[in-house]
Amino acid sequence: MRFELFIAMRYLRAKRRQAVVGVITAISVIGVAAGVASLIIALAITNGMRRDLQERLVGSTAHVELMRVKGDGIRDWRALLERLRGVPQVTAAAPGLYGQVLISRGARSGGALIKGVIPKDEKTVGDLLQSVVDGSADALEPVASGRAAVVETHVPEAGHGAAKSSKGAEEQQISELGEQDVRQDAAVDAQAQAEAARVLGAVAAVPPIVIGKDLAETIGAGVGDTVLVTSPQGELTPLGLVPRYQRFSVVGIFKSGFYQYDSSYAFMRLTDAQRLFHEPDLISVISFKVDDLYHADRVGVAIEQAAGAGFQTTNWMEQNRELFRALKLEQVVTFIVLALIVCVAALNILIALTMMVMEKTRDIAVLMSFGVRAEQVRRIFLLQGLLISVIGTVLGLVVGYGLSWAGGHYQFIKLDAAVYSIDHLPFAPKFVDALIVTAVSLGVSLVATLYPSGSAAKVLPAEALRYE
Amino acid sequence: MSEVGGGESGYDLEPFAPEKERAVVMRAVGLTKTYAAVSGAAGRGDVELFRGLDLTVHAGEMVAIVGESGAGKSSLLHLLAALDRPTAGEVWFGKQRLSGFTERDAAEFRNRRVGYVWQFHYLLPEFTALENVAMPLLARGMGRGAALAKARVWLGEVGLLDREDHRSGELSGGEQQRVSLARALVTEPQMLLADEPTGDLDGKTAEVVFGLIQKLHREHGLTSVLVTHNLEFAGRCDRMLRLRDGQLV
Repeated sequence: MRFELFIAMRYLRAKRRQAVVGVITAISVIGVAAGVASLIIALAITNGMRRDLQERLVGSTAHVELMRVKGDGIRDWRALLERLRGVPQVTAAAPGLYGQVLISRGARSGGALIKGVIPKDEKTVGDLLQSVVDGSADALEPVASGRAAVVETHVPEAGHGAAKSSKGAEEQQISELGEQDVRQDAAVDAQAQAEAARVLGAVAAVPPIVIGKDLAETIGAGVGDTVLVTSPQGELTPLGLVPRYQRFSVVGIFKSGFYQYDSSYAFMRLTDAQRLFHEPDLISVISFKVDDLYHADRVGVAIEQAAGAGFQTTNWMEQNRELFRALKLEQVVTFIVLALIVCVAALNILIALTMMVMEKTRDIAVLMSFGVRAEQVRRIFLLQGLLISVIGTVLGLVVGYGLSWAGGHYQFIKLDAAVYSIDHLPFAPKFVDALIVTAVSLGVSLVATLYPSGSAAKVLPAEALRYE
Repeated sequence: MSEVGGGESGYDLEPFAPEKERAVVMRAVGLTKTYAAVSGAAGRGDVELFRGLDLTVHAGEMVAIVGESGAGKSSLLHLLAALDRPTAGEVWFGKQRLSGFTERDAAEFRNRRVGYVWQFHYLLPEFTALENVAMPLLARGMGRGAALAKARVWLGEVGLLDREDHRSGELSGGEQQRVSLARALVTEPQMLLADEPTGDLDGKTAEVVFGLIQKLHREHGLTSVLVTHNLEFAGRCDRMLRLRDGQLV
């Protein structure tokens, strides 16, 4: 093999009698490099997009959600919650009550999915409350702990809200709970009592709600505005079925980057949601975070078993299966399309080697005349093709990884954050991609060398030199 | 082993049978070589170069083969070097029957038993004179250092040590042919086959090269078969054979 490599390397380096062979060899190397670099960069981008999407998606939502098979809601949830927090691999759990509502402000309205939450728990299973871009989610905290934040950050809004809410006396009654909390707290903090009472009285009068950015735009609501939340689960009155409705004050607007959430999600305190839906002390779902998100399905089964009969779980993979399948398909198609560049480059290798074999027929015959075997001749040209491919592949890997790294580090390809919810093109080159790309590149090139190296091995020395 | 092509001569097939005083190194028996007619000339039939040709070469002998152009001298040499196969007949090298060779055997034979010099030097242009000489040794798997060292010795034998780093394009015609002679002999073969080794050279240079072949033949106890047009050189060999009408006379 040393001998064959020695000859092949010298042939590759040497000046050609026919300049065109050298040119085609150079083009082959560049072609392979371009193909490999394109593949690496494209795969890095699709990986980056996928990773970014997954991080945001998985961050925004719970990994596993537990609910009743019948959909009748979970009673006695506190004990169950504590028990399920002990399931192995579960890192966090939070109760939630979902309900479909209509949110309106003046003439504008939009459908929304309300999730009643305990914020300190909800923040451990989802990022949406941490993604508040306008206002703050702090007002959702039970007033006992969230009071200070409310006072400090929402004085103008609260004042604004107070002006509006003073119109309706019924709103005062609705948030008795909040007022109780306030009173207890105000007793502790005597100095700020007068001021707090004035502000909080107004804030607590209208319970807080945090809504998604797109939903906020749909209904034209900003932080501090009051919106009307209407539940379709009406009340039977002497006048017939009357929808239940209640005013809420928008204290925060979140933006996750996912239209699905930003256009239809809204958060309120669990107690407020229970009151709105007339479901005292009932929750519809327990959300979980697990330590390994790729084991969400297995942990889900464990949670189901721990919860007992009548419960079922879904996980983030099931909920987003179509999305990730589409991303995978996109990646495969990208790979195939760009692999065609490598195929074209391999065609160049085929041409370069075929021409070289033609040019070297006499030399091949001479080599054979002093005892070089046909298989050695075949290997010389096989190696030469592989050398072209290896040089091109290494060059392509360096360029591809270099550009991917630079793209990720300097973020020089900017995106419209409003459209893509990320302001730069993410690059996430993976080692396994390099292995696959290298294998494809070398494999395709090897196929391209088979014909020329085979025809080199078929040279008959006596024939080749007879007419010289 | 029993079937022998062109066995009309009733040759004694025991190789190295004592014949006169010297052992037989190579023996061709009833060699026939025909070529299919080229360019599709229908009905012209095959071209026959020689039929039932016999040749015996003894150890240490220097045999010259002369003949007109196209008589088949080169083709005969190809058969002796296992570069080509006869249409009929056998070539024996010692106890080895060349027509029984596989491709691998033939390569091994050319690498170890015979050295071949062509009319044209056929040095590989990408390699230096020294590398060209070392090539047959490298091809058989010898380490680079050892091969180059041995090549240097043989480059010295042909008087071109100072030219070892030159490529073939930087050498004169005579030097090129001397390098190719060193390449043929670096494997220390038992037999040297040379196909008009001076055919491309002018008179003075040809004399130098032929003198060198004679000298090396003597000093290294070679057995040589030379094809040549030069009757003067042929006359200086131990034996001169003429290829005429497909027979050696």
